[in-house]
Amino acid sequence: MSLYRRRPQIFFLLPALFVLALVMFYPLIYVLWLSFHRRFLIFNVSEFIGFGNYVFLFLQDERFWNALYNTLYFTVTSVFLELVFGLAIAVLLSREFRGRGGVLSILLIPWVIPAVVSAKIWEWIYNPDFGILNFILKININWLGDPFWALNAAVLVDVWKATPFVVLLLIAGFQTIPNDLFKAAKVDGASSWHIFWCITLPLLKPTILVVLVFRTLDAFRVFDTIYVLTAGGPANTTETLSIYTYKLLFHILQFGYGSSVAVVIFVFTGIVTVFYMWLLSRG
Amino acid sequence: MKRSIKLTLFCFIVLLFAFSSCDKKDLEEDNRVTIVFKYGKLFGDPEPIERLIKEFESLNPDIRVKDEVLPATTDEQHQFYVINLEAGSRDFDVFSLDVIWIPEFVRAGWLRDLTHVMPPELRKEFFQGPMEVAMQNGRVYAIPWYIDAGVLYYRKDLLSKYGFSPPRTWDELVYIASEIMRKEPGIYGFLWQGKQYEGLICNVLEYIWGNGGSVVENGKIVIDSPNNKQALGFVRDLIHKYGVTPKFVTTMTEDSTTRIFAKGRAIFMRNWPYAWNILEREDSPVKGKVGFSVLPSFPGYSSFSTLGGWFLGVNNYSRHPRESEKFVRFLSSYRAQKLLSLTVGYRPTLKRIYRESDIVKTQPFTAHLYKVFEHARPRPVTPFYMVISQVMQSEFSAVITGIRNPEDALKSAKKHIEFIMGIGY
Amino acid sequence: MQKVQFRFYLFLVFVITFFAGPFLWQVITSLKPASELATLPPVLPSNPTFENYASVFKERPFLRVVLNSFIVATSTAFLSIGIGSLAAFALAKLEMKGKSVVLLLVLSASMFPSISIVAPLFVLLRALHLRDTLFALIFTYTVFALPFTIWVLTGFFKSIPNEVYLASRVDGCTVFQSFYRIVLPLSAPGLFSTAILVFIFSWNEFLFALVFTATVASRTAPVEIALFPGIHEVPWGEMAAASVVVTIPVVVLVFLFRQRIMEGIIMGAIKG
Repeated sequence: MSLYRRRPQIFFLLPALFVLALVMFYPLIYVLWLSFHRRFLIFNVSEFIGFGNYVFLFLQDERFWNALYNTLYFTVTSVFLELVFGLAIAVLLSREFRGRGGVLSILLIPWVIPAVVSAKIWEWIYNPDFGILNFILKININWLGDPFWALNAAVLVDVWKATPFVVLLLIAGFQTIPNDLFKAAKVDGASSWHIFWCITLPLLKPTILVVLVFRTLDAFRVFDTIYVLTAGGPANTTETLSIYTYKLLFHILQFGYGSSVAVVIFVFTGIVTVFYMWLLSRG
Repeated sequence: MKRSIKLTLFCFIVLLFAFSSCDKKDLEEDNRVTIVFKYGKLFGDPEPIERLIKEFESLNPDIRVKDEVLPATTDEQHQFYVINLEAGSRDFDVFSLDVIWIPEFVRAGWLRDLTHVMPPELRKEFFQGPMEVAMQNGRVYAIPWYIDAGVLYYRKDLLSKYGFSPPRTWDELVYIASEIMRKEPGIYGFLWQGKQYEGLICNVLEYIWGNGGSVVENGKIVIDSPNNKQALGFVRDLIHKYGVTPKFVTTMTEDSTTRIFAKGRAIFMRNWPYAWNILEREDSPVKGKVGFSVLPSFPGYSSFSTLGGWFLGVNNYSRHPRESEKFVRFLSSYRAQKLLSLTVGYRPTLKRIYRESDIVKTQPFTAHLYKVFEHARPRPVTPFYMVISQVMQSEFSAVITGIRNPEDALKSAKKHIEFIMGIGY
Repeated sequence: MQKVQFRFYLFLVFVITFFAGPFLWQVITSLKPASELATLPPVLPSNPTFENYASVFKERPFLRVVLNSFIVATSTAFLSIGIGSLAAFALAKLEMKGKSVVLLLVLSASMFPSISIVAPLFVLLRALHLRDTLFALIFTYTVFALPFTIWVLTGFFKSIPNEVYLASRVDGCTVFQSFYRIVLPLSAPGLFSTAILVFIFSWNEFLFALVFTATVASRTAPVEIALFPGIHEVPWGEMAAASVVVTIPVVVLVFLFRQRIMEGIIMGAIKG
């Protein structure tokens, strides 16, 4: 019997695994290798320094810790807001009403717009002098130029863009809850708040967990939106790990040190993923 | 069966199209040599440049010039060139360079030595600032093409209404701005570029130099000198103490400051000469009401503007260096510069053009800028400038947003810069 | 009851305004002539004009760029479905050891931050002389879409009853014929949903397009929009017009195929 007959799965899996290895795993190893070098692109500097980059990174680079803090703040805040806001909207849209389909379609628009375009849209809205936000609210906030407001402004843009995705998942999750449970609870005289808190929410846990995994990973890796919105300013208050890495690689051309930060990002996302997988498997 | 044939055909066509934009190989057709000229989009009508190119082609029938415009900001262009030149790209022969990239590109060996194109007598005819940058280790690596420097714009109608003459010192500017702001409610005092990007450095250095300080002196980093501390503190005070500059200056770039000033909503603006064309447009609310001058300085010190402007360079990997040199010589010649200056109002790098009568008559703004350009000072001329710029951007931004005080910021900047220039990361 | 109805509609209006508002504002901005751009009031243009749209197409190679985006997105969708369905089929229907390992590998690839591998990928593409080609983007996007595609399609294939597959084998089909003639057509809706999602992802991708493309030959729409600002000027009117142009195709897709899109997301996220 030919190999194809005996183990057909090899031929089916081969194309995918091959390109995945080429485009994802090989570069990862290359990045790892780069991270052990001092590689300054233009100046023809390339020497092996072992863990030197990592030592500097963790012990001396305040800009790294600043970027880490910004990334964590951004991730936690936006994911939390998206979840809460998304839940509210999902509840709102879980019942049938005329035009529900249209509303859902409108809701999807922010999600399908390119991140670059959405950042430009909001940059225009946030302009302190001729932006429509300050105009409507009749205030004078320096949205993208104030150390406090800038990161929050970025969070708002992310919430705008990603909440529709959360809503979709939650609505699907709602549909997995059998209706009889609700009917029974109503018959027993439970208030809607009580129903939501004690029945819906616990049963939604697996869905919520999936939402958390996707959104946490995406928020942690955010690049496009913030790069276009503020490019990391003012005073690096919106500089996330991805932006810091990008600047190191392509503005300052430090391919060695930049790679070490890239590896750190990868390790972090790995830890988060494993943690969530573990939570999911526990049911 | 038919469906899969159609599918395969479709894929094939798509892939054909996709591959058709592969790396270009040789661009030689018939007997002519084709050189590629890449440059950032010039402000204004692109027609004069096209005309110049055609003229060059008719003067040199064996050369064809293919021009490609890079429509992006200076940072994006920098990234493009770095990524391509590091790969030894031959896709372009002549290209325009921002003044701050030149030391870096020279060090990397990407610019062809053009000393024979620029003999010493010719060098004297160009402004000193740009030549200082174009020459490294006694050799010329780029030809100054057009020059840019920071200018103070002011509402001469408002100043004369309240009996003020243009400020010579920064304190005078603050005083004038505060007075007028009180009498004309709702107007902004002084606008400049304070976003965390290269423009911020251009602005802050003008205060630092105007207070007799500098970043590097005789190879030593002196960015944390008391004079600089004072200057940086003043910039912060413009926003937080005197209130003549609005807090949102930390989001401002050239474009937004010009837009607001052009609506008549500010008294003073620091910007590049390009803004003049916008302010003097037919439908501009401030047409005829704007004056300009050299930037103020601090008492006892002379004023300096940050040198901007672009140069022409030849790719060291170019397959057609002779033809490229011819083109560069042509495009930076007196004739070409004069034409571009008369038509699109760009600022030439050859000094004598500023004194010619037709320029003085038709482009009075350009003619008067001569003084500003003579005092244009380049940013630290070192291959590490792009790295230093990143450091300074963060620190200056931290000061003007009020997060850090000038002393700490400058000390930290010094530490980082010394680290970079000492051993390289 | 009345109060609940009222609050319901109030919240609904708020939601719609919040999510659709910004895009609407962009459309309004794109219709404003240059002189009214940086002033508020007026909120609405006094004489709406299409000059921004005209200038976007006349002064820039925008049509070419949009065409590039379209070619890249469609090709990516095809390619990733092609390669991904093969792998998903193996994972869903075939007997093999180490299925969970493969699944885990595929999943781990989906959490790669693009920034982490953009540098070596660039070096690789350069070595293959593929820089500034559409193919480079198609290839990269396909691989990045693969984990999601495989994940989702495995779910869709699993939902096809095993008996159907086994019956076809008994009838004399080879494994591949079963896959191609039976399973694939049966899961056409699922394939379609996934293709749309991959299209949207590819249409919107930015980082790789920014780093890998050098000229108009391979530039895609998001990068072109990001490059609109010149050295000193920021053409807000034109950018607004370009944003609208770039968004319309995906918005149309969304309205037409909302059901399918939702199915795809749900299959990938919930049932996967």
